[in-house]
Amino acid sequence: MSKKQTVAMTSTGAPINKKPLSTRIKNNFGYYLMFLPVLVFVIIIYYWPMLGVRYAFYTYKLRNIEFVGLKNFYTMFAKKEFWTAFTNTLEISITKLLITTFASVLVSVFLNEMHNLFAKKSLQTIIYLPHFMSWAVVAAIFQLFLSKSSTGFVNETLKSWGVLSESIDFLHVQSMWRPIFYLINIWKETGWGTVIFLATLSGINPELYEAADIDGASRLQKIWYVTVPALMNTVIIVLILNLAKVLNLFESVFVLYNNRVFDVSDVISTYVYRQTFLTAIPDYGYTTAVGLFKSIVGCFLVLICNWASKKIRGRGII
Amino acid sequence: MKKKVLSLLLSTAMVASLAACGSTSAETTTTESGDTTSAQSTDATTSTDTAAATDEEYTLETLNIVVDGTLTATVENGQDAFKEQWEKAVSEKLGHPITLNINQLDHSDYAGTVSRLLTTGAPGDADYPDALIMSATMFRQYAQTGLLWDMADAYANAEFQSRITLPSINENMKDSAGHLYGFAPTYGNGCVTYIKKSWLDAVGMSVDDIKTFDDYYNMLLAFTNNDPDGDGSNGTYGVIAAGYGKLDEAPYINYMPEFWQGAYPSFYQKDGVWVDGFSEQATIDALTRLAKGYADGVIDPDTEEAGTKQAREKWFSAEQSTSEGVFTYWAGTWLRTLTDNMAKQGVDDDLGDDRLVQLAPIQEIKDTWGGYINREAPVWVITDDQDGSNAREQAIFDALLETMLDGDTVQTLWTYGAEDVHWSTHAESFTTNADDPEKKKDYEYAEGEFHLKQSPNDPNTVWKKNHLDPVLVIAPLTNGFVDSDDLVTAGNKFFTENCVDAPQAASCETLSEVNEELVTDKTTLMNQVVTGEKTAEDAIAEYLEKWGDVSAQIVEELNAQ
Repeated sequence: MSKKQTVAMTSTGAPINKKPLSTRIKNNFGYYLMFLPVLVFVIIIYYWPMLGVRYAFYTYKLRNIEFVGLKNFYTMFAKKEFWTAFTNTLEISITKLLITTFASVLVSVFLNEMHNLFAKKSLQTIIYLPHFMSWAVVAAIFQLFLSKSSTGFVNETLKSWGVLSESIDFLHVQSMWRPIFYLINIWKETGWGTVIFLATLSGINPELYEAADIDGASRLQKIWYVTVPALMNTVIIVLILNLAKVLNLFESVFVLYNNRVFDVSDVISTYVYRQTFLTAIPDYGYTTAVGLFKSIVGCFLVLICNWASKKIRGRGII
Repeated sequence: MKKKVLSLLLSTAMVASLAACGSTSAETTTTESGDTTSAQSTDATTSTDTAAATDEEYTLETLNIVVDGTLTATVENGQDAFKEQWEKAVSEKLGHPITLNINQLDHSDYAGTVSRLLTTGAPGDADYPDALIMSATMFRQYAQTGLLWDMADAYANAEFQSRITLPSINENMKDSAGHLYGFAPTYGNGCVTYIKKSWLDAVGMSVDDIKTFDDYYNMLLAFTNNDPDGDGSNGTYGVIAAGYGKLDEAPYINYMPEFWQGAYPSFYQKDGVWVDGFSEQATIDALTRLAKGYADGVIDPDTEEAGTKQAREKWFSAEQSTSEGVFTYWAGTWLRTLTDNMAKQGVDDDLGDDRLVQLAPIQEIKDTWGGYINREAPVWVITDDQDGSNAREQAIFDALLETMLDGDTVQTLWTYGAEDVHWSTHAESFTTNADDPEKKKDYEYAEGEFHLKQSPNDPNTVWKKNHLDPVLVIAPLTNGFVDSDDLVTAGNKFFTENCVDAPQAASCETLSEVNEELVTDKTTLMNQVVTGEKTAEDAIAEYLEKWGDVSAQIVEELNAQ
């Protein structure tokens, strides 16, 4: 009779001879003791609140709690506002992801081509800075900048140049909100997004450029045939890793949207926020149901990304 | 296999953890449905116990209250002294020591935070309020929840009954069955339209000439186009407010009454019958007027996004070249506050206390409502622990509300603040703005003379009042302490001579369920109309298409009450 033996492997593929857990704890008692507070913290902070998920199946208003089965989900699926928020979340997040990634790649390539170290470092520092500003501050700046009133810099400047005859309420016009939102995101996050691409670029074998030089490649050709292909693997990985987070869109939208552009800007998190915190007597059961649905979709996306990551990188993300 | 199981567990955990963000940590503090039912049924079936328990002795050792920004003795502004003196005075009255815990919430998110406190807590918890302040809108929503104590008997037997000068305020709070779930120590107050005197002078107009909407509108046009600040360029506006209409807070129209006139964009009683005012012709007309005002540039576009703080700060800011001439805001004490703020910013210093003039209601307002709207009063409510006994709740009433209108020591604390911190009767002299020769002002008081002191957190201003407005209170002080600020007195007199009571706020089950979405949609439509994205007629048609059935249901429920 043969006994099937499971052998654990290290990340490099070397086998690990596992001893029983009790033996490992005994042998490494100090380490396990150090791990204990972390374990307790994780259980209390991350796992214990999960019990609240059950309220997705309840009506929960003030102190009245009543089991209603799937009613909250039926209500949610019947609401136009929910579907608007859901589709907006996907559209805004994915577009933002593609645009900011593309911008980061472009800037990274540009920075990589700069030979003046001082100029390169200075530019890097300048484009990193917006990342460290909070979204609240960014929103305040752009709202002031784009305001329709006489304090709005953009409107007043364009009017003084004769480009506009009347001020435009940029952030309150549906057709303009998303483009402005993407531009603000590019301004804020492109610099930070270049970090990983610049690291990749610094790792490209110089011999490839030397070979291209010998072949008579122009600068643009070297970028197109050497730099870009070398970046592609990283770009795909970045996209995959970020795709898992597309539903986590809140702060940037929350500080910039307003009720006149809800149709194009409201996302699931802002919808849940309004239902929970701006309703006089909210039904926490309903908002938990919306949150649960979002989490299920988010989890599904994580699994897809995990699968895609395994295919491309040979290892998953979870 | 192990790894797959682990992956599955991790995935499930991830889903749960993300979803839990939308929930509250209610495990420790909420009552499950069964418990609630049981509590309610106990309440319903133990009337004999209740009667017996009413006579129980209950010693209230700690009183937890939740307040908004209307308690002006904040932590930075002498709240410790207020608490200390309140505890001393009330302990003496009750004959046992009592501790006062004040939870002063952020004024702008008060309703939301109260909702969370009442959801996640239970009587007896450290954070759970024994009593709290509610706006009229909040009060109507909570009155039917069973969380509030019916204080009708306690109110009827209160010692202050003999001194009440405005009995109708609280009588009108009672529901059709005679229950009184909230107590208003003052009447509501309302908003008056203030105009900058210097701007009127600059465009050659007088407040006495503004009688109709056309007069009012011409004034706004002059403020927008005729360089009232005298800087030689455009940039000024006629009027600013915190929203074109504040559709989430009754009485909805009081920040721009000249434009709204007889409209009431919510559910209200018209000739004794509930109607949906948002779908009425008066609302269409009001929105059309607002749209014209926006298109003509007389309404500052910042109005759409501004909160009250942003609106008033822009109005009295030192940067008058981008400011506005008209601002409709709270009457009485706020006339003094706005004037003082203009003084702080160095605006129109030559005019002193005459910086602002009050506009009498225009003819169109007089013809419809009859005057400025006097909102429904904010109330104090007491939470009901639903234990079948009134002992705890009566003790809270005795300690808090009975003493609040004692006419003497405790009422003075709620009215003016702490003795020798916010006010005094001792001889003293002080100077405000001592470093600025133009604004410097000396104050001198004799021994025994009641007077307000410098504000604890701003020695350049004189303290105004605490929670109760002495002019609005329903049972006046009996100790003779009166703050004789002529401007405040004039402001209150002007308002009381020109106001009418607001319609009663609506509350029913369906409205509670849909209110947030309804208000959001109405606000969106209102803003779209004002900014010219659609006509008022189209907006109301759109509203009726989406909300018509729900609106009819709400009206039916309200009329069935």
